[in-house]
Amino acid sequence: MKKYLKKISLILFFLFLPFKAFAFIEIDITRGNLDPFPVAVSPLSIDDNSKINFENILSVENIGSEISIIVENNLRASGIFNPLNKDAFLQAPEIAHLKPRFEDWNLIKAQALITGKITYDEGKLRVEFRLWDVLAGKEILALAFTTFPNNWRRVGHIISDKVYERLTGEKGYFDTRIIYVAEEGPKTQRVKKLAIMDQDGFNNKFLTLGNELVLTPRFNPTSQMVTYLSYFKNLPRVYLLDIATGTQEVVGDFPGMTFAPRFSPDGKKIIMSFAKDGQSDIYIMDLENRIVERITNHPSIDTSPSFSPDGKYITFNSDRSGYQQIYVMDSDGNNVKRISFGDGLYGTPVWSPRGDLIAFTKLHEGSFYIGVMRPDGSGERLLTENFYQEAPSWSPNGRILIFYRETKTDQEGDGFSAKLWSIDLTGYNERLIKTETDASDPSWSSLLSN
Amino acid sequence: MNKNIIISSFLHFSMIIITTMSLPFLTKKTNDFPPIISVELIQISEKTNIPFAPKEKKIVEKIKEEQKKLVSEQAPPKQIKKEKPDAVPMPEEKIKKVEKIKDDKQNPEKIDNEVKQVSEFEKKELFDPNSIAALIDKSKKDTAEIIDNNDKKITQDQDKNLGNVGLSLSEEDALKAQIFGCWSIPLGLPYNEDLMVRIKLELEPDGSVVKSEILDHARMNKPGQNFYKVLAESALRAIKLCEPLKVPATGYERWKELQLNFDASEMLEG
Amino acid sequence: MVLNKIFKSTVIVLFACLVLTACATKKKVETGSEMEGDVYTGKDTVGYLADGVPDRVFFATNESALTSASRETLRLQSEWLRANSNITVVLEGHADERGTREYNLALGDRRANAAKDYLMTFGISADRISVISYGKERPVDSASTPLSWSKNRRAVTVKAN
Repeated sequence: MKKYLKKISLILFFLFLPFKAFAFIEIDITRGNLDPFPVAVSPLSIDDNSKINFENILSVENIGSEISIIVENNLRASGIFNPLNKDAFLQAPEIAHLKPRFEDWNLIKAQALITGKITYDEGKLRVEFRLWDVLAGKEILALAFTTFPNNWRRVGHIISDKVYERLTGEKGYFDTRIIYVAEEGPKTQRVKKLAIMDQDGFNNKFLTLGNELVLTPRFNPTSQMVTYLSYFKNLPRVYLLDIATGTQEVVGDFPGMTFAPRFSPDGKKIIMSFAKDGQSDIYIMDLENRIVERITNHPSIDTSPSFSPDGKYITFNSDRSGYQQIYVMDSDGNNVKRISFGDGLYGTPVWSPRGDLIAFTKLHEGSFYIGVMRPDGSGERLLTENFYQEAPSWSPNGRILIFYRETKTDQEGDGFSAKLWSIDLTGYNERLIKTETDASDPSWSSLLSN
Repeated sequence: MNKNIIISSFLHFSMIIITTMSLPFLTKKTNDFPPIISVELIQISEKTNIPFAPKEKKIVEKIKEEQKKLVSEQAPPKQIKKEKPDAVPMPEEKIKKVEKIKDDKQNPEKIDNEVKQVSEFEKKELFDPNSIAALIDKSKKDTAEIIDNNDKKITQDQDKNLGNVGLSLSEEDALKAQIFGCWSIPLGLPYNEDLMVRIKLELEPDGSVVKSEILDHARMNKPGQNFYKVLAESALRAIKLCEPLKVPATGYERWKELQLNFDASEMLEG
Repeated sequence: MVLNKIFKSTVIVLFACLVLTACATKKKVETGSEMEGDVYTGKDTVGYLADGVPDRVFFATNESALTSASRETLRLQSEWLRANSNITVVLEGHADERGTREYNLALGDRRANAAKDYLMTFGISADRISVISYGKERPVDSASTPLSWSKNRRAVTVKAN
């Protein structure tokens, strides 16, 4: 019997050996479509009691539906998703949240479904939501959290971020804010104010009054402070603004114009340019001990400095070669290397939060471009071209660039407008970002939640 | 005594089976198909529209213009870059390929179809002069070049898979085109990562999927491999959407187990 | 006969007026003669600190070098400053809109300092001259044409007291 088994196992071994090597036909699928992903966002279900409570507190009717609209708009704006028309939905929100009938959702061609429930719980807002893979017929994400009712819009943004992350593998960028300069008035005498808004344009607030020129605001890593240039008392200097309290303070005690400020990745330092006797160099000031360190010392103009996300390197704009180009150096100022070599002028370099790319503005033959390149200068890609555009800023997931454009003015000086625009890293999805007034110098915050 | 005869004959029989099964694979493997002049015989039924991300193409073209480089449409250099083990094309064997098409008499009807469709396409489709110039070599009067207006890269795909055995060119193309249409590539994927998911399928004769298995399954839940998970899920969704798959009408034994290699790198390399 | 003469002269006068009005509108059309190379050489937008003393100098794109015309203007300014020793001035540096905002702030500063340094070569003390850059924020001509841009590339001397 044993002998028998041994022989059989030997046979089987040899039998299956060749089969394993030759069994499968392999077909390469190298193409697909880049169509937006069809997703159904069901209104969040809510019980009548909770509904009334929220209506009273927030003056928001139908909060479950409103939150789902925020999610829908976010997903649509990303260019990656295609939220389907609610009128076609067959299942009621309460039921869908418990047990979706996938055939129904499949019928309208949804590949993913978002359902949720929202309740008023002892003065707080409690949300739970689920993400379903319609084709696979199962739940792939479920989360619940509690927050203050005032944060109801952020609930929509947080849900969007979680769904985005689960379906693309990338961190989201919806629970963020944008700080920018709101501008009005004739081109020769623009009135500029610092303004902040949610990434989807809501909750717009002005942070300064417009009595003095303000330019180039940037968030710190926790998005609670802003550094910017102000012409307060006709002295252009870098300032710090605390968003919560509104207090402003000048950074350092420089005997001349400081400008182009940014925070270091740990938020403890400010890097900026200081102009003295016609020469602009890069300086770093430590916010805690107020020590100032000079980083470049060159008769050229050195400006627009930006740290790498690990804080080890700085990219900046210099005309030491004769024209505006982009350079990278160590954070102590050593090893300065030029990285831009194409035709034209390069400016406003800004390092991606992912560390893999540096975005920039390029001017060539009368056209302005927004582009990206790797930190060693290779792989230069231009994403968009326009009569005038500049100053890209990265979304916290390193995928989207926000920048601003100005239009041409005619002989009489009419027709001028400045607006914020965004574009995806792939060059897709160029979008106008609606602001109440004209806008420029946008900067993107980090993710407010984690 | 009897027992021994049975065992012996069983062993002999199995040896015979092994040789018959393996030999054809061996011989066919040496017949390496060269980069083909794209004979797009995808349609058995309708016209395939293989989309190419228009914006990507615009950017690619812009950069090409700016750098003033003439991108060669010849498949061989690109081939070397991809390095697929089972499909190593040799330029000299182009002629062999032409003959191969003529010789393929497995299905006489199919050949007529191919010829007919070739001429139909010649009338309808636009020709891309670059590709034609690069690929039409000495004696290619019989094979026409059909290039989809939007897509210059399809040649490459055809080339790589000619090393595959089992499905004829048109059968494979039909299946590929079908899945191309169903696969929604997640736009968020970075294009410098390894973006290939291999899925093994067991099929019914009507093309429905009995079982699907992600080779490399362990990678799905590894930390930092979010992209792989997302890509794999998109591939599974594509298969689900496309069921029943456009499988050939005959030869179930050949294709009842299939491996699909989903590779997003070409689409995402902006 | 007289009527004819009157008629003729009216026609001539009318015709002359028409020609003059045509000339008036011509002012807005770029002639190109108001620029030398890239530098504005015209009189439009130019203010005067005193009789015959222009208050500003102009620059080429991305440049802060002084042309000979600029040097002459600054020489005149220095004379006026020497004659009025109690006056202090602010030198405003400006750039056109065809550049990135931060770089233009630095460029404006460079231009203002170039003018200040030249004034100082005539013995004007540094503490009588302060410098401020407005980058591209305060253009004097808001049209988007090369001529307008050339008028905006300037360093303006402004009385501070």
